[in-house]
Amino acid sequence: MADEEQQVPTELDRLLEEDPADLYENAPCGYLSMVPDGRVAKVNGTFCAWTGRTPEEVRGSRLPDLLSAGGRVYYETHLAPLLRLQGVVREVALDVVRADGTVLPCLVNAVEVRDDDGRPLLVRATLFEATSRRRYEQALLAAQRATADSEVRARTLQQVVSELAAAGTPEQVADVVVRRARAAVQAGGAGLWLAAAATGADTGRPRPVVLAAADGLAPELLAALVAAAEAGAQLVRSGEVQVVPLGPGLRERWPDLATAMAEAGQEAVVVVPVSAADDRHLGALVLVLGVTDDSELISLAEPGTRGALVPADADLLATLGRQAGQALERVRLLLETVRQAARSAFLLEAARLLAGGHGMTETVEGLAALAVTRLADVCVIDLVTDRGLVEPVVAHTDPARRHLVEELRDLHLPRRDGRHPSVRAMVGRRTVWLRGVDDADLQRMATGPGHLAVSRALELADLVCVPLLVDNRPLGVISLGNGAQRGPFSEADVETAEQLALQMSQGLEVAARFELESRTSHTLQASLLPPVPPHVPGLAVAVRYLPGSSGADVGGDFHDVVALPEGDVALAVGDVVGHDVTAAATMGQLRSVHRAFLADRPGPSELVDRLHGSWPLLGLPRMATAMFARLDPATGALRIASAGHLPPLLVAGGRAELLDVVPGRLLGAPPGPAPEWKGELPVGATLVLYTDGLVESRTADLDVGLARLRTVAADASGDGPADPGELCDRLLAALTGPHRADDVALLALTRLR
Amino acid sequence: MLLAHGFGCDQTMWRSVAPALATDHRVVTFDHVGSGDSDVAAYDPRRYRSLAGYAEDVVGICRELDLTDVVFVGHSVSAMIGVLATRRAPELFGALVMVGPSPRYVDDEGYTGGFSRADVAALLDSLDSDPDQWSPALAAVVAGPGNPGTAAELQRSFCRTDPEVARQFARVTFLSDNRADLPAVTVPTLVLQCTDDSIAPEVVGRYVHEHVPGSVFTRLAATGHCPHLSAPEETVAAIRAFLGS
Repeated sequence: MADEEQQVPTELDRLLEEDPADLYENAPCGYLSMVPDGRVAKVNGTFCAWTGRTPEEVRGSRLPDLLSAGGRVYYETHLAPLLRLQGVVREVALDVVRADGTVLPCLVNAVEVRDDDGRPLLVRATLFEATSRRRYEQALLAAQRATADSEVRARTLQQVVSELAAAGTPEQVADVVVRRARAAVQAGGAGLWLAAAATGADTGRPRPVVLAAADGLAPELLAALVAAAEAGAQLVRSGEVQVVPLGPGLRERWPDLATAMAEAGQEAVVVVPVSAADDRHLGALVLVLGVTDDSELISLAEPGTRGALVPADADLLATLGRQAGQALERVRLLLETVRQAARSAFLLEAARLLAGGHGMTETVEGLAALAVTRLADVCVIDLVTDRGLVEPVVAHTDPARRHLVEELRDLHLPRRDGRHPSVRAMVGRRTVWLRGVDDADLQRMATGPGHLAVSRALELADLVCVPLLVDNRPLGVISLGNGAQRGPFSEADVETAEQLALQMSQGLEVAARFELESRTSHTLQASLLPPVPPHVPGLAVAVRYLPGSSGADVGGDFHDVVALPEGDVALAVGDVVGHDVTAAATMGQLRSVHRAFLADRPGPSELVDRLHGSWPLLGLPRMATAMFARLDPATGALRIASAGHLPPLLVAGGRAELLDVVPGRLLGAPPGPAPEWKGELPVGATLVLYTDGLVESRTADLDVGLARLRTVAADASGDGPADPGELCDRLLAALTGPHRADDVALLALTRLR
Repeated sequence: MLLAHGFGCDQTMWRSVAPALATDHRVVTFDHVGSGDSDVAAYDPRRYRSLAGYAEDVVGICRELDLTDVVFVGHSVSAMIGVLATRRAPELFGALVMVGPSPRYVDDEGYTGGFSRADVAALLDSLDSDPDQWSPALAAVVAGPGNPGTAAELQRSFCRTDPEVARQFARVTFLSDNRADLPAVTVPTLVLQCTDDSIAPEVVGRYVHEHVPGSVFTRLAATGHCPHLSAPEETVAAIRAFLGS
């Protein structure tokens, strides 16, 4: 049995009977023992084999000298202090550097062996290889960073979109894009160049570019970039984000830019197109990559490697460029809409002024005042009249300078052959726009030293003169001026001035035509009415005619007094329908026909019959009412007939009564009889014939008007025989106001004996 | 005497030297914002994007505690924080003690800092991939064999740092360049240089000494980067010798 128990030791037993020295030397992990100053005192074979170093090399080194830079820092800042403070560290990841310079990732456990007083004697450390763990960690880190970077880009884009949405001006858009783009790719500096707004004439040449915003660019570098941009850098044309490194190509084409970049530590220029939704190029976002002055810290990128842009950042910049372009378009459209609305409001106000029915002077003054609130600092309006250019209307925004334009008004009467732009505008019949007025311009246009002094004092920088034309005939000229503070006129301003001139020309034309017509018709009417009634012994006769108060209106009212050779007197008062030249002409014709018919001495009724009968033959275009009377001055025998006319008034001894004349039909209406009223005009009594303009008004009833007529006439007559002229004036004063819709004809006749 | 810890640890670093220095000085230790027991909520990434923010804190502490004639002892990066603080408020400081200083860790043309840009990039990578290791929330509390009797003390953790703060502090520490500030130091200055410091090698300490006017250079026998931990007596003696002179 004992034999059976005493078995021959197997190979396994022999191996398990481990030799401590062999176990240490060939353990599956590295062993290091260090004295308190960190120097390695003892190392096992495994560590030496892993690192390719001999035990002699390792011994005498300090552990941190065997580690990577990160390991060294960790050792000195964490591991050594922790061992000192807490005696143990576990599972610390450290990179050991092999003899050939490659790195061996390890996990390290270490304990500090102390004496009874707590003083350190020795540090023992075991090291396990952790290559695959480190590989995994690095892959994880790379993935995390990619995610974080992509989140940062997404956030940048989100911020830019929201900030652009809040931007209200092109300057704000530019500022957002420049700042955000620069931060997003950590550029040394950035600037946004925009193509200048399109001018009327497209010359086909590239439009000048203007710097809209810049951030982080040193003055010299900015100047070099501006110069390069002005020299027509066409990099943006490709539509792609372009990275131009600071190399021979750049040095050759833009040597100044290359020098400025080198001095500022910048290594590449990035050009990002800024385009509208329809791919129109609006400008370019330009960034320089290299040293960033934002942080006081040293850049981790080696010099010479800072000019690179990763594709994701290039994509981000391209997107920012597009976003900026769209925002610019939106903002410009918005501003244009606002300006358009302001222009429309201005022109509407001008139209109201023109339609306001004020006098010409008042209207023009109002327009000048309006122009200096909305359009310009100074406004001068010259008008041509029959007498040539008249004293202009002037206005100035600044009350303190109003006296200057008033002086100007007194001095400014440019000669027709003068060089003043207002004269050139009138003579050339086109807008003259003088941009950037200088002293030489002022001297050229001045009419004299006084004029020059005032012009200088006004400090105008921009001048626009727009002629007022009707059928290519100049009526005048509007001159607008802006000082330096208000800035030059825009194309839109000039367009608005031209619109204003057009409106004014039309308004002035209408007014002029109106005045002419009004003058013509009044002249016509006056010529158709008999100038003075004839003198008839024993009678006093007065006639009055008042035109309607509304301008060009002329009426068809008439009166007529004819002394017949036999001694009788024929009277007529009538009213042709309408208030225009036709009515006046009809009235003239009617009066002529009346006189012609009187040759046969028809009585009043017969006269009405004859007129009815011949109306179609006469071809008179209008209907009319009329009253005819025949008086024998010797006896006072009176006969009256009415064709639709208002009844005559008899005034005597403080009494006034309407005669009961039965009215026949209107002249021009289907004929009908006009019964003849027969009576007597007593001595001292006055017969009054009138038209409806005297008693009718828009606000009161005809009966009320007639009642007032009677009252006023009765009051005016008094006791003795009335003076018919005075009676007429009293009646007109009491019964017609300053605003008459209708004209008035009035005839009063008093039998004196 | 105001003791300022460097990157990676907290004011417990000073526990081996503070009592000895306290015999004849009022000793104030503190945690930089984001380290140790400080209020992490007070950490403002903008304020601490450069060392200037930390220097302002130092001046703030002196003013708050009404300290004058301060001996500022700065370890590692805090040496440069001290430089900036004395520039900001020279009237507060009587002397500056720099323990393992470096005005710039990254090599430059004609200057050896000890690290390449790639080294610092790898270091920052390692902070990113092992945040727990660099910013331990809890210390290992198990006492190993050979160091019994320390368990009670190990209940608390050392060198706690918020990971985000640690990362930013590392950037600021290893990517700052304060060489231009050195000639402007006006207070008496001691440069304490360890033997075999793998973070701030002797050539860097010599550079600091040469550029701080009138500074004293003392080379310690102590090795590594933390002589106040590994050789407290020698460290205290060197400081005393400097202050006594």
